[in-house]
Amino acid sequence: MKQADLENMLKEAIGPQRATLRGAMASAAVAALVSVLLLGVSGWFLTGAAIAGLGGVAAVQAFNYLLPSAGIRLMAILRTVSRYGERYCGHRAALLALATVRGRLFTHIMRARDVRAFSAGDAVSRLVQDISALEDRLVRKPALPAALAGGVSGIALTALASLWAAAALALLLLVILLITKRFSPILLDRPAQNMADALGRLRTEMVGYAQASPEIVAYGMAPAIQVVLEKDADDLDAARLQLARGEALIANGLLTMGAGLAMAGVMALSDGASLPLRVLAVLASAGAVESLGGLVRGIMRDAVVRTGLARLEALGGTEIVSAEGGFRPRGQSITLPLPALSSSGAQGSRESVTIEAGQRLGIVGHSGCGKTRLVEALAGLRPEDAAGIRIDGEPLSACSLDDVRALFALSPQDAALLSGTVADNLRVAQAGLSDDLLWEALETACLADDVRAMGAGSEHGGLDHWVGDGGARLSGGQKKRLSLARALLVDRPWLLLDEPSEGLDRETEALLLTRLDEWLNKNGAGLILISHRPALLALCSEMLDFDDLSGANN
Amino acid sequence: MKRASSFVWLADAACAVALAACLAASAQWVLSGQGERIPLLLSGLCLIAGVRALIQIIAVHIGEKDARSAKAGWRRLIWPAVLESPPGDRRMLGEAVADAVDRVEDLDGYYANFRPLRFAAVAAPLLIALAAAPASIIASAIMVGTLIPFAFGMALAGTAAARAARRQMDALGRLSGLFVDRVRALPVIVGFGAQDRVGRHLSDATRDVAERTISVLRIAFLSSAVMEFFAALSVALVAVYCGFNLLGLLPFPAPETLTLGEALFVLILAPEFYLPMRRLAAAYHDKQTGEAAMERLRSYEGAGEAPATPAKLSSPPELRFDAVKIAYEDVNIGPFSFTVPAGEMTALCAPSGFGKSSLLHAVLGLATVSEGRVVLDGEDGHLAILPGHVGWAGQSVAFIPGSLADNIRLARPDADDAAVEHAARLVGLGWLMDARGQGAGLHLDHRGSGLSGGERRRVALARVVLRDAPLWLLDEPTADLDAASAAEIGALLTELGRGRTILLATHNDLLAAQADHRVVLS
Repeated sequence: MKQADLENMLKEAIGPQRATLRGAMASAAVAALVSVLLLGVSGWFLTGAAIAGLGGVAAVQAFNYLLPSAGIRLMAILRTVSRYGERYCGHRAALLALATVRGRLFTHIMRARDVRAFSAGDAVSRLVQDISALEDRLVRKPALPAALAGGVSGIALTALASLWAAAALALLLLVILLITKRFSPILLDRPAQNMADALGRLRTEMVGYAQASPEIVAYGMAPAIQVVLEKDADDLDAARLQLARGEALIANGLLTMGAGLAMAGVMALSDGASLPLRVLAVLASAGAVESLGGLVRGIMRDAVVRTGLARLEALGGTEIVSAEGGFRPRGQSITLPLPALSSSGAQGSRESVTIEAGQRLGIVGHSGCGKTRLVEALAGLRPEDAAGIRIDGEPLSACSLDDVRALFALSPQDAALLSGTVADNLRVAQAGLSDDLLWEALETACLADDVRAMGAGSEHGGLDHWVGDGGARLSGGQKKRLSLARALLVDRPWLLLDEPSEGLDRETEALLLTRLDEWLNKNGAGLILISHRPALLALCSEMLDFDDLSGANN
Repeated sequence: MKRASSFVWLADAACAVALAACLAASAQWVLSGQGERIPLLLSGLCLIAGVRALIQIIAVHIGEKDARSAKAGWRRLIWPAVLESPPGDRRMLGEAVADAVDRVEDLDGYYANFRPLRFAAVAAPLLIALAAAPASIIASAIMVGTLIPFAFGMALAGTAAARAARRQMDALGRLSGLFVDRVRALPVIVGFGAQDRVGRHLSDATRDVAERTISVLRIAFLSSAVMEFFAALSVALVAVYCGFNLLGLLPFPAPETLTLGEALFVLILAPEFYLPMRRLAAAYHDKQTGEAAMERLRSYEGAGEAPATPAKLSSPPELRFDAVKIAYEDVNIGPFSFTVPAGEMTALCAPSGFGKSSLLHAVLGLATVSEGRVVLDGEDGHLAILPGHVGWAGQSVAFIPGSLADNIRLARPDADDAAVEHAARLVGLGWLMDARGQGAGLHLDHRGSGLSGGERRRVALARVVLRDAPLWLLDEPTADLDAASAAEIGALLTELGRGRTILLATHNDLLAAQADHRVVLS
């Protein structure tokens, strides 16, 4: 995905929030304007009052104190309300828009040609952390109207006292912004990038290691791993410190110094004006500098935003499945390539093996000869390993990947499960499956009794039983059978089973054989079965032995 | 050091007083016709502004440093617990990782911003009120008086906010968990064409997190607004009082008559009086987030503490399972009683789902023994010394991105390359190393992609061999293997495992037959 696409995605996500965002911007402008006025008018009021006080009773009575004093109170209230509006609306718009972006990016990941390439830790880093970085950009949007309103009103009030002072203030505000723009990238880009990288690394490694917790406990590896992780954490903290320091240098340095300079400068330059107006101008100029705060911080945060965008681009940079084009296979016949040499070294007599819809092929061969890889490629999950595979006579690489995937119901060797309930895992197969259908599939897969016993008596038992993180609470055999049941629930012409009976005792395996046979007869689906266990291979009429290719396909 | 940043913020308030004094004095001098001394005052003003900027930068620096050391402490607390948590206990891996990484980062704002400001928010206003008192005792009293509703409003918002922040944190953790989980399961999701359903589910989850975050922020902003409101109102009150005092129009007998300089001084100080509290209010979200994160992190306390037993397993031990029952939340396994004799191989046989893996996990403390006990060498409570002293090959073999050698070396980080390669060849990985032409440097990703099921088992066994421990715990070491490979592994175990205590769970009858003892669970 190019940056333009990403920007488009952002823009679309902001669309529904536009009104809220406008509310935030308007509130911000009001807040800045009122802040400047509040300070200035208070000073003017005080000074005027002091002079009137010195002038005697007549002057005091001539001095209109009602309007300014009421105005001061009104402005105090207005400022509070508009600040709240700015913050609330700004954050609301940003958070809702980014929630949409997160969902869309995940959908984008799911469209990748090679979904196996994603590491969970890395992807989640980008989906969580880098998108949060974009939040800053949206939240800071109201900073521009705020700076404009504050700056312009400050300059206008100063002009009441002296045009020169107003010009000087305008120049000062401009210089502050220019310096911020010029020095932010120099001071902040690198730390921002280091921070994002270190955080991403830390998270990715943590995901990787935490998956290995049994090994970590068994081998007492935790201290050694902590040393590795602490290095990333150190990098992260160092970058964070550098970033915070750089931001303070720019923001506090410019704004605090700037306010002092503005006050001194305006006081010095407005020599000819009346004292009340001078005080008004001095305080208003300080307020004007202060109102740049949001914009200055926004410019600085660009470093973080840029880093986030760049990292997201890399995530989106994967090749995705194209929606249109390609041959649309129906799965009438499948041709699998055979290696020229069998893995035992003998010359094979054929180059490929072809089976027709509804046939059952068993694949055997010693561990490591590439059976799993072949089946995953056939299922459309390993596009790079698909050479030589043909469906309906067309090479798989010429077929539309979505249509290829829709031909096969795969129960993979690693029997990957979702962290969810038994039902959640089964319903991945199809939406809207009734409980009865789920139980039927579980019966066929010989898992129904196990599931009935799971959490029996508790309210989250049976289909609602939580299978643990990635199925960690199920035994190896139960995972395989749940994965098998899931494959039975999706109505497709071919069933691909990779070692489905591993971890089963003989009796259960025999039962599974009978039930699968019935199921296949009833549904008329074809079967490709990888197994090391001879019992289950009795299902198959055709055999493909990678260790003995001379006898293939009989 | 902890308080250093707080004191720096006090110095910031002192600068504010000096700034106000300069400005007020210059106005007073203009009024009294002493204009010629003003440039001196103004350059003083610039200088003080510069010092103040510097002080603020230092405050940020110190705050961030404090946060750094505080976070390091939390990490030491959480990480072992996350790294060693039993897979069956975890709700979702991504949730635990979010706790270990993101929740710790959430503490940054709490320590760097909120904590230093909390002290400064009390001390700095008092300092400013004290400075304002000589100029106008009434204005000073107005300031101090408005502190009370201020504090009240903050406390009120606090309780509601804490609850919302906790809920948001839980939702955030769940979202991370979902992301990690669904990315791991991508091949399945794509294979079943479930992209739309999963996508919708995740979109709902992201929206849920956003809504919760918004409700947390609303409370944080509301507390900020309450404080700002009082601040603004008090500033207005001070301004109006000073103005009327100057005009001599106060409706009550004033104990003081202000000069313009005094009035301006107090007026400029008034916002500064509230500034520390406004800063605190702005850091209020940091507080909520930080405290909610700490509460989550505290739930790990004690979980990952290593037992303080320096004892080492020097000879093959005997394991005795004494009416052991294992309980996950709602699943019970057992009771089982059997003995694993020292220095011999015992095969554990039972139908799938009976609890073989759980029993192996229980030996390492990765499954909770609810009743009965596992006794090591006849000594109760001796089990705690086991972690770190066993050879382990679990059902799912964990991989880290890195070379094959890195992956095997996990079992013994100090092992040299030759030892690693020797172990790899012993378990039959030689063919793999030679075929791919990269030897033990063969690169593996987080899924161990490209390795067959059998090769994965062998990597786990290579770890066991490299570790060279007197006790081996093996869970289905021949799963996913063809008959010939299974026989090879069986022979290997008999040969290399001689003289060690081996407990292996298996369905493979041939392997079970090679064991010295066979325990059938029923």
